[in-house]
Amino acid sequence: MSTDDLARVREEFLAALQAAGSEPEAVEAVRVRFAGRRSGLLRQLEETLKSLPKEEKPAFGKALNELKRFVEERLAAAQEAAAKGAAAAETVDVTLPGRRPPAGSLHPVTLVRREVEEIFLRMGYSVADGPEVEDDWHNFEALNIPPDHPARDDQDTFYLPGRLLLRTHTSPVQIRTMEQQRPPIRVIIPGRVYRRDSDLRHSPMFHQVEGLVVDEGITFAHLKATLEAFLKVLFDSRLAVRLRPGFFPFTEPSAEVDITCIMCAGKGCPLCTGSGWIEILGAGMVDPRVFAACGVDPQRYTGFAFGCGLDRVALLKYSLPDLRLLFSGDERLLRQFEGVRR
Amino acid sequence: MKFSLAWLRDHLDGAVAAEEMARRLTSVGFNVEVREAQGEDEVWDVEVTTNRPDAMNHRGLAREAATAGCGTLRPFATQLAEGAVAIGELARLTVEDPEGCPRYCARVIRGVTVRPSPPWLAERLERCGIRAVNNVVDATNYVLLDVGQPLHAFDLARLAGPAIHVRRAHGGEQITTLDGIVRTLHGDDVVICDARRAVAIAGVMGGAESEIRPTTTDVLIESAYFDPLAVRRTVRRLGLKTEASHRFERGADRAMARTALDRVAALILELAGGEVAAGVLDSAPELPPARRIAFSLQRLSAFAGCPIPEEFVLRVLSALELEPQREGDTITCRVPSHRVDLELPEDLYEEVLRHWGYDAVPAVLPPSAGGPGLRLGSWPVTDRAREALLAAGVAEAITYAFVPAEWDAATSGSPLASRGGAVAVENPLSARMALLRRSLLGGLVDAAAANLRRGATRVRLGEVGRVFFATDSGVREEERLAVVLAGNTGAWDETRAVDFFDIKGLVEGVFGEFAVRDALWEPAATPRLAPGAGAVVRCGEGVVAVAGRVADEAAAALDAPPGVWVAEFDLGAASPSIAPVFRPLPRFPAVVADLTVRHSLDLSWGELVAAVRACAPPWLEDVAPVVRYRGEGVGRHEVKTTLRLTYRHEERSLTQEEVNAAHFALMKALAERLPVSFT
Repeated sequence: MSTDDLARVREEFLAALQAAGSEPEAVEAVRVRFAGRRSGLLRQLEETLKSLPKEEKPAFGKALNELKRFVEERLAAAQEAAAKGAAAAETVDVTLPGRRPPAGSLHPVTLVRREVEEIFLRMGYSVADGPEVEDDWHNFEALNIPPDHPARDDQDTFYLPGRLLLRTHTSPVQIRTMEQQRPPIRVIIPGRVYRRDSDLRHSPMFHQVEGLVVDEGITFAHLKATLEAFLKVLFDSRLAVRLRPGFFPFTEPSAEVDITCIMCAGKGCPLCTGSGWIEILGAGMVDPRVFAACGVDPQRYTGFAFGCGLDRVALLKYSLPDLRLLFSGDERLLRQFEGVRR
Repeated sequence: MKFSLAWLRDHLDGAVAAEEMARRLTSVGFNVEVREAQGEDEVWDVEVTTNRPDAMNHRGLAREAATAGCGTLRPFATQLAEGAVAIGELARLTVEDPEGCPRYCARVIRGVTVRPSPPWLAERLERCGIRAVNNVVDATNYVLLDVGQPLHAFDLARLAGPAIHVRRAHGGEQITTLDGIVRTLHGDDVVICDARRAVAIAGVMGGAESEIRPTTTDVLIESAYFDPLAVRRTVRRLGLKTEASHRFERGADRAMARTALDRVAALILELAGGEVAAGVLDSAPELPPARRIAFSLQRLSAFAGCPIPEEFVLRVLSALELEPQREGDTITCRVPSHRVDLELPEDLYEEVLRHWGYDAVPAVLPPSAGGPGLRLGSWPVTDRAREALLAAGVAEAITYAFVPAEWDAATSGSPLASRGGAVAVENPLSARMALLRRSLLGGLVDAAAANLRRGATRVRLGEVGRVFFATDSGVREEERLAVVLAGNTGAWDETRAVDFFDIKGLVEGVFGEFAVRDALWEPAATPRLAPGAGAVVRCGEGVVAVAGRVADEAAAALDAPPGVWVAEFDLGAASPSIAPVFRPLPRFPAVVADLTVRHSLDLSWGELVAAVRACAPPWLEDVAPVVRYRGEGVGRHEVKTTLRLTYRHEERSLTQEEVNAAHFALMKALAERLPVSFT
């Protein structure tokens, strides 16, 4: 064994390193072969050094040390180059999901309510508000529903201590508005209402929006145009609106208002029970008895009012199957409205 | 209500086709909801509104059909051959309660043969939903469906006297009704009695004792007008609704009481034979004067918004038997006794308009009221609260305002939920809906638990809604915002369990939306929040929010797993609008210096920052946390907090030397003030 052998090892090392290029695994294999701690070639040469005659040791030792340094330097350079190459070769998987900030969602009833509000705000209506706990006067009597009136049957009421009740409709806010404000009045009143009823189509708590217009010279034709404008913007400009005579104690005349079935476009389907029409709201000219109850002069003023179930509109607009689903707090439903804004 | 098309046609000459009649009836306010062919006939389900008892029978609906141009209403005439014996010799009538029973008419027929009705009659009844019984009873039901007058047939032999007394019941008086049930009466109930006892509940149901049996030969037929309110109260008290009560409580026809009696007598003679006694027992043959309503043709057109010709108005009102008389611009109508719903000119406008056709009224938008529309009341705040939820990445939920007592108890410790007593619903749907909520948290935690049970790994729900408190003067409503977080949070590669700083951050975000400043977070003493993981937030004197992890006992009451974080915010503390005022942008650079402080866990971040600010020069701009370190080299009850201090002077550049001097002075002052060290 001589220093020439060391020169040969050096050549071998350089050749191997060149062959390895910048492949991290190949560079590592070269490291193990030459500089491995247990059985690397350099380690073996150290063993050889120990067995050499005394006089040959210094020269060989010096040459071996130089070789070791050379190998370490070259290996370090090669490893660095390999690491850089590997990094350069590694690309981002752009199809992995990003880190999104959490998205919020508005409740479908909120979305529908705001849509209704926007339509009427643009027509100059204000959005009013009133208590959910009411007295008999505002919820019934002032609306021409005296005690023992059959119309009370249709509105099963939750009663509270102190002769109070949970409002069965948003109409009491009509009364409160007229008590506080002289005509001209143009308001809508969205809000939560309560009736003692629970099944697939009824919830003990639901939402309505009420409209009230009081002024001199308000006509039935005004009511009709307002409802047509509202419903066409809310649903579809192509739909037809139909007013049928109906009955509400607080309007005279009263109308049930239908729209073309949005499912079948009026051809007849299970949703509209074959009629081609869907009942969507109730309306009418304010009954003079209601004006009298609020101190508004029925000789001078006329007006119209209408009321509409917001939950039902939400069900229709978003094809929701069941009213009660709206109040379940099921995030699988609610999150379907992410990104929907009004 | 069910109608037979053939029966309707019996009242009309020249009736139009079924399809056309259904369309026209619907357009004048009688919605033909279902049409079902039955042999040669059709059964129609027609919606008759509660104010129109006069149309809850075939003749009444035929009158509307005729007015709507579906044919001509046939004249109404009844031929009845009376026998020789006068009714006065067979029965007596006294009405002691003319208020409860303004009119009572009766006829007696003797020698009838009770047997099943002929098929044509039984079929018609059954098509309209009434079971056929025997010819006498069926005749009364037939006339009811024909002209709307409820009738009742008594077995004359079983009436003591024979006499009829109409009076209020004695409290506690009992009667066995036709359905075999013993009913106990109230002093307000109007009853029909014979010489001894009650034999029928007026306007509701007859008694079993005097009902028509196969052996009955002599009958007394009652045809009365009972007070709507009295009948209605009895119906409500007994929970007993019948075809008769349905009409009486809405208002029957006082004149028809007499006319229908002849009609049913004639029908019984035809079906069951016998002889009608001469004359009628009638407690009030004089009708009260008909109501007169006058209106202006001009005002009608103004009200409608389109001109409605006089001829049309007169034709419709005549067809409705309102006997219109024109004098100049004024039309005066005489309201027949079957139209209990007509009182005011507007009621007549409706009669004209619905026959004119709502579709024939033009659509004209009303003139603007002038000003812009505004959001009033609590809408500006509650809608902004929803924006805050949206910005916080929360899904808005709506939960019921009703809660069970356990939920109320679980949330009642909160200072926000104890601003008044709980309001109990007097007639709740179930025990789960017994109280009005005083906190939104019950419903939200329940919803969160349901989501977790369905396998949700992250829950981020919120609600904006009202809570209710019992007060001396009634009920107070307050607006609230609440949120619930549970499960995991963070991006897919950084996911971790929700902790206090998630819920606090969310609340701070909401505060930002509402310009709530100087909020003071204190450890919560409220029992429903877990000790060491809850806070109450004060603003000035009052608590404006609570936040923390739901305590285990409370979670159990709400059927929720541990690890649910909640917060509730009183929107009464919110201001609806923030108008930012521009602050000049900094003109001089900042110098940043970190400060690591070792201190006991008893010293809060809030206290530490307050002390730092107190000891620092006025040009300390900001203090922010960098890292909190616990572990090797730090005592068990200690923490090393690194703060980043930003120094900036508004009027000049700071030198490194003066910052260093200030920083060291700050450390010295801090060590004197608090038990802290900097090693």
